[in-house]
Amino acid sequence: MAGMKEIKARIKSVESTMQITKAMELVATSKLRRAKENVERTRPFYQTLGTAINDIISASADIESEWFLPRSVKKTLFIVFAGDRGLAGGYNSNVFRVAEELSRDAVGIWLPIGKKSLEYAKHKKHEILTDSFECAGEMGVGDMLALGDIVSDGYRCGEYDRVIMIFTEFVSMMTQRVVYEELFPLNQCASGKSSEMESDCDGVEMLDKIIPNYVGGILYSALCESLASESGARRTAMNSANKNAEEMIGTLMLKYNRARQAVITQEITEIVSGAEAL
Amino acid sequence: MKAFNLKVVTPDGLLFDSEVESLLIRTDDGDVEFLAGHIDYMASIGTGRARIKQDGKDRFASVSGGFVTVKRGVVNLVAITFEFRENIDLDRARAARDAAKSAISSSNDDKAIRLAKAKLARAVNRIDVAEM
Repeated sequence: MAGMKEIKARIKSVESTMQITKAMELVATSKLRRAKENVERTRPFYQTLGTAINDIISASADIESEWFLPRSVKKTLFIVFAGDRGLAGGYNSNVFRVAEELSRDAVGIWLPIGKKSLEYAKHKKHEILTDSFECAGEMGVGDMLALGDIVSDGYRCGEYDRVIMIFTEFVSMMTQRVVYEELFPLNQCASGKSSEMESDCDGVEMLDKIIPNYVGGILYSALCESLASESGARRTAMNSANKNAEEMIGTLMLKYNRARQAVITQEITEIVSGAEAL
Repeated sequence: MKAFNLKVVTPDGLLFDSEVESLLIRTDDGDVEFLAGHIDYMASIGTGRARIKQDGKDRFASVSGGFVTVKRGVVNLVAITFEFRENIDLDRARAARDAAKSAISSSNDDKAIRLAKAKLARAVNRIDVAEM
């Protein structure tokens, strides 16, 4: 049986770890609340954006624009949304697993968002488009609009022929799901029938303005979903870490008390047999 | 006057979803006014003023970026920013205008100047709408 001193030391170390995980859980909970509100706010934006762009795309069937030109896929851009920090359960690794599966058979170039994502892409030696989107937690609408411009420009210039973004959808406080969405090529028959829409300005010029905006908006939604998911995953992970620590302290306490009892019993036996010997 | 459904969304959420009588907005090719029964339509919008007529009353707002579509009688306005006149923070807009002005005069990086100019246009637009 381990000595009392060692057991005491272990209890202390588990307790101090628990203090940290408890604090992290509290932080994640408060961040989660804010992130959840954010997600709920952006969802109607995302939906309206989606229907509006589908209407525009199906109405632009006769517009000859490089956005719709069919091309053979030589290179694919993967936009990978992950967190800035670890200790969030499987949050980061789940995203990377899906990204790896998707990029297995493709010539890919990565655009990592979040510190962990950048580290991973560097570690795996993937080609990286830009590393200026490192801090996922500090980015806002403006950054995503700028990113929308970069991504759209690259597609139009033919740097890549397909764009897929991988992010974590915030289903509920307890459940987050990794999903991916194809941003380019734009699917012209997505909404089925092509319909007419009037416009006063030049169609090509208008699409050139609308599409980067649209991409930026979609990316912003994905960012909000990812941030909420990260907090959710971290809260769940920290919660179970707390439970484990509590359990561990319980068993260690039991062990400690047993060891203490054994020492006392031994002392009594020694005293009694000493007295008998006299 | 006949009314139609107008939805205004920005990344900050669904800001407006209601029956209105008209929407006047500055597109990249000039002002366009939508009334009930407008033909399916699309346009990209720049930075400017919007006027919404609801129950006979005019409401003004500053808008920047995005696009507007009309489909089956529903008008969707997808904007980057959209603020009703009464919600504009004039002090903040003035501060943003001054910051953008000094950024333009002190910087010589093309990209930074372009960003600052866009910021300046948005700030000036807000001030214009608020001081109307």
